[in-house]
Amino acid sequence: MAGVLFECRDLTKAFGGVPVLKGISLAMDAGTVTALAGENGAGKSTMMKIASGQLRADRGEVLIEGQPLAHGDAHAAHRQGVAIVPQELASIMEMKVYENLFIGRELRSRAGILDRRAMVRRAAEQLAVFGVDIDPQAPMRSLSVGLRQLVEIAKSSSGGARVLMLDEPTSAISDREVERLYAVVDTLRKQGVAMLYTTHKMEEIRAIADRIVVLRDGGLVMDQPLTKVRDDDIVQAMIGRELEDLFPEVRPPGDEVGLEVAGLQVEGYGAPVDLTVRKGEIVGLAGLVGAGRTELLEAVFGVRRSSAGTVRVAGRAVRRNAPADSITRGMALVPEDRKGAGAVLTMNVLDNGSLPRLSSFTLGGWLRQRARGRVVKDAMSSVRLRSRGLGQSVGTLSGGNQQKVVLARWLTGHVDVLLLDEPTRGVDVGARSEIYRIITDLAASGMAVVMASSDMPEVLSLSHRAFVMRGGALVAELDRRQLSAPDVQETVFRLAAGLDSSRSPGAGADLVPTTSSPTEKDAR
Amino acid sequence: MTSQTTPQRNTAVESTGPTSTDRFSMAWFRDQLIRHAMVVVMLLIIAYFSYRSARFSTPDNLQTIAVAAAPFALIALGQTLVILTGGIDLSVGSIIALSAMSAAATVKGHPERLWLCVLVAMVVGLAAGSINGFLVAKVNVPPFIATLGMLTTASGLAYVIGHGAPINGLPTDFGKIANNQILGLQIPVVVMIVGIIAFALMMTRTSYGMRIYAVGGNPVAAQIAGVKTGRVLFSVYALSGLLAGLSGVMLASRVISGPPNLGEGYELDAIAAVVIGGASLLGGRGSVWGTALGLLLIQTLNNGLDILVVPAYWQSVIKGVLIVAAVAVDVWSARRRV
Repeated sequence: MAGVLFECRDLTKAFGGVPVLKGISLAMDAGTVTALAGENGAGKSTMMKIASGQLRADRGEVLIEGQPLAHGDAHAAHRQGVAIVPQELASIMEMKVYENLFIGRELRSRAGILDRRAMVRRAAEQLAVFGVDIDPQAPMRSLSVGLRQLVEIAKSSSGGARVLMLDEPTSAISDREVERLYAVVDTLRKQGVAMLYTTHKMEEIRAIADRIVVLRDGGLVMDQPLTKVRDDDIVQAMIGRELEDLFPEVRPPGDEVGLEVAGLQVEGYGAPVDLTVRKGEIVGLAGLVGAGRTELLEAVFGVRRSSAGTVRVAGRAVRRNAPADSITRGMALVPEDRKGAGAVLTMNVLDNGSLPRLSSFTLGGWLRQRARGRVVKDAMSSVRLRSRGLGQSVGTLSGGNQQKVVLARWLTGHVDVLLLDEPTRGVDVGARSEIYRIITDLAASGMAVVMASSDMPEVLSLSHRAFVMRGGALVAELDRRQLSAPDVQETVFRLAAGLDSSRSPGAGADLVPTTSSPTEKDAR
Repeated sequence: MTSQTTPQRNTAVESTGPTSTDRFSMAWFRDQLIRHAMVVVMLLIIAYFSYRSARFSTPDNLQTIAVAAAPFALIALGQTLVILTGGIDLSVGSIIALSAMSAAATVKGHPERLWLCVLVAMVVGLAAGSINGFLVAKVNVPPFIATLGMLTTASGLAYVIGHGAPINGLPTDFGKIANNQILGLQIPVVVMIVGIIAFALMMTRTSYGMRIYAVGGNPVAAQIAGVKTGRVLFSVYALSGLLAGLSGVMLASRVISGPPNLGEGYELDAIAAVVIGGASLLGGRGSVWGTALGLLLIQTLNNGLDILVVPAYWQSVIKGVLIVAAVAVDVWSARRRV
């Protein structure tokens, strides 16, 4: 070991009075990988941003070989040898691989003209170090996410980075690409690079890290060499409480059918889907990224095209591919991408709240302001929205409160079927348990709820039944009893990955609860 | 300026955060000043012109400003809607020319039926706008390109109608459209006032207005909330064209002829008015009142600089600088507001 290369001392940060980091200190040696784990909203992303110089800490400092990092200056950090590969890659899609590698430090000939040939040659050399075969002349667009990520890593390391931050690098790549990423991380480790690697997947931590650091609610709750801790300890540290505290009790569903999907053929996906949900029932959809959960929900609601099949709400047929008709029939969709598809951030709470049922608030096209204000206020109160009032712009609300707006705006009218896509992504732990309570309350009031989620504990603890999806099809159904089985996580994982379902005893211990939600960037 | 929606401040749902600053305190006053920076700029300009020339703030001159503003007001209203959806309409100047020429040709053939030429101009404008709307909403052509194409096409057609020359020798009755008065105000001024009020109400009080804001603010979210985004997009371009048509016939009537280059470059003044009014070219932010204020600012400048006999090319320089300065102040004050 070459001694301490990178050190954080007493990092403290608050956003708008809310503490996000509460005095975090950690040190990394050269040639080691430190896993930074923790739930959404634990402060991982903020920590990474401060450590890489993108954000300024309120208190505390970051040292590289004893030299303080220039806070709030990503460029200076880069010069000091600190680089970050963000979760959302910042590649320039329209440019070629070698152009991406050399952007900002282009090679020039003596005449001052770009020396493309030299750049292509050097790019090939740099990529060869990692044993991957990428044509430097290929357009960035043509590469998979995993390969683009490797190009970004190559870019940072060839720029002389001695400290590399990887922010949830496996959140959007395939298993095969994960293996390749491990190999690349190993190569860098041998080169003496100190790496901080965020993840909340246990198998990854085991496969790659030398040391584990766990954050919870902005505080550091574990800092240990990996050999000294058991998986259970890590999970306990991450969650910090029993699951029962987080999740409300599951109440029995009703008998009547709320949602009936028959032979729904989602365009671009193989198999037609059949799904029946009773009133008061919560049905979970589990699966890996790209399994088609979002697509199924969108097709049921009508914003994604389906080419065949029927959708019935409380026995009445709904026109396919017509979201407006779905809404009239009592369907509601809370989309995965809250900022991109859920709320209109430029509008205020009142306008967002009345958007889905505009026609019920109008008389001959004119808005009935008083009725609208009253109904929306009631809906927002029912989810205990914390805002400065209905006039506050939704863009200025916290993630959890934005999600409450996106959910509550449907409650201004009758809802029979509630479709939820990653309902707690990017929502902090406190607001999360509130949202769980809202969901179970809504189900208990007679709604049929379908909830797609990558958060395993969420699916396991809230659902009456759950389906595992793969390649756009429902490949397995698990009832309440099966969902409570101790090895259910492994069962679900095997089904989702399409592995053989036979298993050796004891293997399940390696697959403990993972709260895997890829985007954490809007977690505050 | 961009607070388009109902200011229902104290209907707090579990109110948190600090209460707003005390009324009439220094902080409140400063806050108001920053919030209404554009109004302050406007008042300063008016004060300057009034100080420099006794002729500026007379009722006659106000009427002159209003008459000059009217045709711009109509296309600026249309432009506001288009920009709120995140688009842009470059074709309105040419649509003015095309509809003016159509109106002039109609009145030449049927001098006794004035209403017919107004109708023709509006139909022509609506048709051109609908083509824009179809291209943007259904074919997904970027608005800049679709309306740039219409700019060139409509301009060409205007010359085709006049066989490359203005249409002259129109009956003097044609001038009635622009010059007759209602309640002591010329018809275009009345149309402008009614138009601004109607559009302001439409944008804040009707579901159509709210759908426009939603489509501009976040089209995907709007669609999931059941808004038929295609229809909304189509309608704003069609409406913009219709208003340009109306503007065209009023302009032609004012000069009692049909010049094929009428309205050339007007689209830029209309866009400037909308942007000065605080609208974002990315869509979702802006208001009709803001546009009205922006329009007033530009027209006041034109008029005041004329009165002070500033040479035309210097006027252009001053206007350009002031437009950018006004928007810079607005952006700065928006950042102060958070």
